[in-house]
Amino acid sequence: MIKFMTRRTATLVAAVLLSSFAVFLIPYVTPGDPVRKIIRSRVAGDVVDDSTVESLGVSLGLHDPLFVQYLRWLGSFLSGDMGLSYVSRTPVAEQVMPALAVTVSLVAAALGTAVLVSLPLGTAAALRQGRRTDRLITAVTQSFIAMPEYWLAPMLVLLFALKLAVLPSAGWNDAASVVLPAATLALRPISYFTAAVRSGMLDALSSDHVFAARARGLGKTRTVLSHVIPNGLVPLSTLFAVWFAGLLGGSVIVEVIFAVPGMGRLLYDAVVNSDIPLAQGGVVVVVALAVGITTLADFVHRVLSPQAGAGLA
Amino acid sequence: MPEQLVIDGLRVGNGGPGRPVLDGVSLSVAPGEFVALVGGSGSGKTMTAMSVLGLLPARLALESGSIRLGSTELTTAPETDLDKIRGGRIGMLFQQPKRMFNPNRRIGRHLLEPLRIHAGLRGARAREKALGLLAEVGFDDPRAGARSYPHQLSGGMAQRAMTALALAGRPDFLLADEPTSALDKVLERQILQLLDRERAGRGLGILYITHNLASVAAFADRVLVMESGRVVESGPTREVLGRPQAAYTRSLLDASNLQPVDVPAPPRDESDMLALKAVGKSFSADRRSKAALAGVSLELKKGEILGVLGQSGSGKSTLARLIVGLEKADRGTISLHGDLPKGPQGAATAVQLVFQEPHGSFDPRITLRSSLEAPLLRSGLTAEERGRRVKAVLAEVGLEAVLLDRRPAQCSGGQLQRATIARALLLEPQVLICDEATSALDALTQRTILDLLRRLHRDRGLSLLMITHDMDVVRHMCQRVAVLYQGALVELAETAAFFAGPKHEHSRALVEASIPCRGLHLKQITGVQEASNPEEPVPARH
Repeated sequence: MIKFMTRRTATLVAAVLLSSFAVFLIPYVTPGDPVRKIIRSRVAGDVVDDSTVESLGVSLGLHDPLFVQYLRWLGSFLSGDMGLSYVSRTPVAEQVMPALAVTVSLVAAALGTAVLVSLPLGTAAALRQGRRTDRLITAVTQSFIAMPEYWLAPMLVLLFALKLAVLPSAGWNDAASVVLPAATLALRPISYFTAAVRSGMLDALSSDHVFAARARGLGKTRTVLSHVIPNGLVPLSTLFAVWFAGLLGGSVIVEVIFAVPGMGRLLYDAVVNSDIPLAQGGVVVVVALAVGITTLADFVHRVLSPQAGAGLA
Repeated sequence: MPEQLVIDGLRVGNGGPGRPVLDGVSLSVAPGEFVALVGGSGSGKTMTAMSVLGLLPARLALESGSIRLGSTELTTAPETDLDKIRGGRIGMLFQQPKRMFNPNRRIGRHLLEPLRIHAGLRGARAREKALGLLAEVGFDDPRAGARSYPHQLSGGMAQRAMTALALAGRPDFLLADEPTSALDKVLERQILQLLDRERAGRGLGILYITHNLASVAAFADRVLVMESGRVVESGPTREVLGRPQAAYTRSLLDASNLQPVDVPAPPRDESDMLALKAVGKSFSADRRSKAALAGVSLELKKGEILGVLGQSGSGKSTLARLIVGLEKADRGTISLHGDLPKGPQGAATAVQLVFQEPHGSFDPRITLRSSLEAPLLRSGLTAEERGRRVKAVLAEVGLEAVLLDRRPAQCSGGQLQRATIARALLLEPQVLICDEATSALDALTQRTILDLLRRLHRDRGLSLLMITHDMDVVRHMCQRVAVLYQGALVELAETAAFFAGPKHEHSRALVEASIPCRGLHLKQITGVQEASNPEEPVPARH
């Protein structure tokens, strides 16, 4: 286990470093003079004349070997200095961190809801396999896959904000304003989670050890509670992490529609405005968090399912 | 006070017309009695046990008959009462113990369940009792045992843990459904001795379901023989096995008495077909870094049948995988001689492998036709020629062509094992490696497969490498025996000489373990004399 964790952590660090290097290269591979671009992300005032560019380039070490520059960039990044946004001319970190907090709470709310909804649905469908309950649950949740966010979000706004006027249509001010964006985001994970819970439960239900538990006198309910559900949930832990990581940067449609000041929106704006430092900061933070979460999920999976990976000899 | 289990006129079917799965089965097991229920696959042995527990598969229903434990009628008992009886008054052992544990739970936590439900023990007292049970079934270090996950136990230890689990509710009665079929002979004997000790010690009644007559001869007081849902013969062990009345019992006995007399003659041609020189293999260092094979040198002669004996974990299967190239050897060389087929695939197809689990050797989703034609796809044959080849080889192994359109789940184990052999033959191999190819089959089916292999050996001049833990298979088939022990070759001898005087300590243990179970004892009962075993017969238990 220790060995496994060490190896996974090393992979994590390597993945983050590699992607951060790619991100670091953005000013060099995009059109335009990299030195000017970098100076613009380091110096608040406008620099136009060539002599100042030259002297700043030297003092910022922009003529050093690329790798040295990368290490310097990484060092300042790790100490919280992500440079200045081209658009707002304020430090990138001051924009990225609040946006990250917003998106993490939005995604957590959406996926938390998805788990709370899909657990009972998936379990019920598995326990009533092939019967009407199962068919109804499966049909309804599968139809969610076909509902794109850009269609669903306006529909929800139309119904709950305009028609019923019970929820705000946009913004990020109070708990009520979380409901519609979170619900929109939750819908597709609900269908995937429900399917995963259902098939996990079915696997567990038909496994020999569940039969053996019944043969030892564990009643139906007790067997389901203590052997079927815990085992059926193992696949969900991985799926949850994958979705969490994906939605960190992938909630852009919902954030734009509902005017949520989150990460997706920030990255979208950064790209549209060619705000290189903002995009760099946002991408590195999202990647680090996403890789961290999937690694954590691997650890959780290993704890929940200790035989995983042991029988591969 | 232990009570008697009585099954009377049990009839189980799918509710429709058709033949019932169980047709008037009656039997009884008294406290302290060891009763064996014998029969081939599909004879209804397991369904009898399932009926007792009230856990028949959903498609089957109990149509008539009664099952009583003491004064309790089980067939009409409410589910809540049955839950107290299952695991409480009736314990159960299964064929594949590892798959019967929740893979995500430690053994110790498994034991707490029945202790809480059936014995009312909780907390520290339950933990203490769990350790006591593990010690009782033979865990040297019960604490380590309780901390293990099921996949960390060997097959033998898993069955011991399963026994502890079954005994935790202090049952009067134990249903043991082929508890040792997946174990080698040494372990089989240890588990059965453990059960027998519990029987003698606490008056446990045991219904031992098996297709292995030798273990029946060694342990059972009474035997019932089942065939297609009916009990066709029953009585004291000595009587049933000594003077079998039913034709089915006789054929079962014949199949179980693999005799050494008709071993195929050794090959005249003494040249090597396959030569292994100092072959070594260890698996990656982050697992137990013990070498799976340590410098094994071995030759298989042209047309020879060589037995490779060894317990689970001795490196037998690694040897097979190395020879066919599924794994790469770390050290040493494996060379193949003889008239190899031409082409780049020639050497690779000259050695074919037959696995232990026939159901595991086929893709469950495709028909046998697709599975069998797959090896021919790159041969350049037309679809029609491929079909002809498949049919021809199918006939050679004694299967009908109608099977081609079935999926693996629609075939019996014996049929599938024949199909596995057919698939191996399609590529015209020179050497066939049978890795426990008959261990998962019942005695009758095993006999037919062995006969098939002998016929192929004779007709095709195949060289056979029989990897097995079954001494009788070796005695019956092989001209020479190689013994693997902890990855090393410890003995290599002519079969007769080997059984007359095994040299290595481990070989002696193997030969001795097989005598009371499958060798002498059964043969003594059935009146078969065996010249190669001059030792005194082991006295019967009573």
